[in-house]
Amino acid sequence: MRTDHTDHTEIHVINGIFHQPSDSEVQRWMSSAFNMAIDALENGEVPVGCLLVYNDIVLGKGRNEVNETKNATRHAEMVALDQVLEWCSHRDLDPKEVCKHTVLYVTVEPCITCAAALRLLNVPLVVYGCKNERFGGCGSVLDISSGDLPHTGTSFKCIPGHRAEEAVDMLKTFYKQENPNVANPKVRKECMSPAGGTITTHTEAAPHEDDVKMAVSD
Amino acid sequence: MFKMEPETKKRKGMEYDPDSWHVLPVLSDEMSDDVKLLDAYAAPITDKRQTSRLVKDLSVVHPLADLHHIKRVRACKDKSSPHPLEVIVCLVSDVSVPTTFVTQPQRPASLTDLLSSKDFNFEGLGEPFPVRIPARAPLTRPQFEQASRHWPTSFHEDKRVTLGLKGQLFTSRQKAKIQEYMTTAVEAARSGREEGMDAVGAVIVDPKSGQIIAVGHDLTQDHPLHHAVMVCIDLVAWAQGGGVYTYEKHPACRYTASDPQLYAGHSETSGSEENVQPYICTGYELYVTREPCVMCAMALVHSRISSVFYGTASPDGALGTKYKIHCQKELNHHFDVYKGVMRQACEELTPLK
Repeated sequence: MRTDHTDHTEIHVINGIFHQPSDSEVQRWMSSAFNMAIDALENGEVPVGCLLVYNDIVLGKGRNEVNETKNATRHAEMVALDQVLEWCSHRDLDPKEVCKHTVLYVTVEPCITCAAALRLLNVPLVVYGCKNERFGGCGSVLDISSGDLPHTGTSFKCIPGHRAEEAVDMLKTFYKQENPNVANPKVRKECMSPAGGTITTHTEAAPHEDDVKMAVSD
Repeated sequence: MFKMEPETKKRKGMEYDPDSWHVLPVLSDEMSDDVKLLDAYAAPITDKRQTSRLVKDLSVVHPLADLHHIKRVRACKDKSSPHPLEVIVCLVSDVSVPTTFVTQPQRPASLTDLLSSKDFNFEGLGEPFPVRIPARAPLTRPQFEQASRHWPTSFHEDKRVTLGLKGQLFTSRQKAKIQEYMTTAVEAARSGREEGMDAVGAVIVDPKSGQIIAVGHDLTQDHPLHHAVMVCIDLVAWAQGGGVYTYEKHPACRYTASDPQLYAGHSETSGSEENVQPYICTGYELYVTREPCVMCAMALVHSRISSVFYGTASPDGALGTKYKIHCQKELNHHFDVYKGVMRQACEELTPLK
């Protein structure tokens, strides 16, 4: 039962428990996250997009920027979190206090790195599309979201499965193309362990499977 | 002992006694856990000439599936025994224990209890006795030695692991190099501390050239996610023409583009590998004063680091303490982790807030 009060904090947080977003909110924000993922795809990046929403205000919008930056940690979530930090710094607000009331909407389950980053910033809730069987930090590979890590911020809740098939299809589209940004596979193979786990987004063997496996993380 | 003296590079690492620390590999749980045992029945071979027939017949009735590491026959431990060989008859779980056996546990199981098939030829087989056998193949020499006390197994020794566990993997020259890089990390941690940051420092090295590619320290006062390792990963990106953040305010955070000679194809070993441009942290080593957290450990997986050396453990550490992300089976990249490098110097840095 939401009203259009200006004091949204009161509505979202009831007895310290984060209020779940309504279906229409989820639909609206996820649709925007999917647009970010499409943008990533069009720019040769792994198609993952996300939004960080604080009291109905979009504070951060991100998509993968790994290839552009040559930094394998530039996942959509990290890009969007930087915008939140920027927003806070302009207003002289404590980022963790703001993040405590911020929801992440993301097309794919956050990886282990991003899940830990979300914890460190006290983000309480993540709404995501499909699972990330290879790198997922919200249960797929490790459960960082609810793990017992007293020195790594706060745990968070997840609402999975929103438009999951679409999110998977986008990843499949990406993986069917060769990623031109990865190095000579000869070198990589030496450093890689025997074939990593399978990924649900990867049901058919792509022609350049090794390149695909490289690219997923990034 | 650890004054900041950047110009005395030649002496770097020399002030600290390299014999005062030991580097140990952080192995996967399955390599470091105790050997798990299964209950089984063995029996003496009373007629040696029947051995091969018995082994063949037993493996039909009780094939010991998934226990390929187990040697079915062993030489009897007790040299005074009249029967020099013993054979595994079956696992306890292979047979349904007769009720008399349950009600009278003191009565030992007989061959007929264990080999119910009517046409089994017991010739040459003595009365069974219980044994415990290793549930899976030993992966390290300590596990092999532990397993062998119960029943002989096969063992494919990884010499590097054996040396690593004995603290003998690195030569004293290699150890001096490790100490030199870690000293740089400790100095970076101190520079960070002087700026009011957590005293954590990290260094990324290209072992092919020995060159330091990036030096970073904690910057969490500026950005809550800028742990020393995250800073170093971004500095490596800068060294490769990418990068996200600027570090001008932090002179101890720096990078060097990797030696172009090494990648120009002119090197003596000009294999195809040498012609490849550096790709994120592929082939690189990280030296960090304390065990990386989950975020940083997984960032190192994404960045394809080849080895990590750290000084001291962290309470939520992800390379040995809470997780072993470097050997997490589901992940597509794994790397070696060593701990204990200059432990005392690393422990003496201010503990994390």
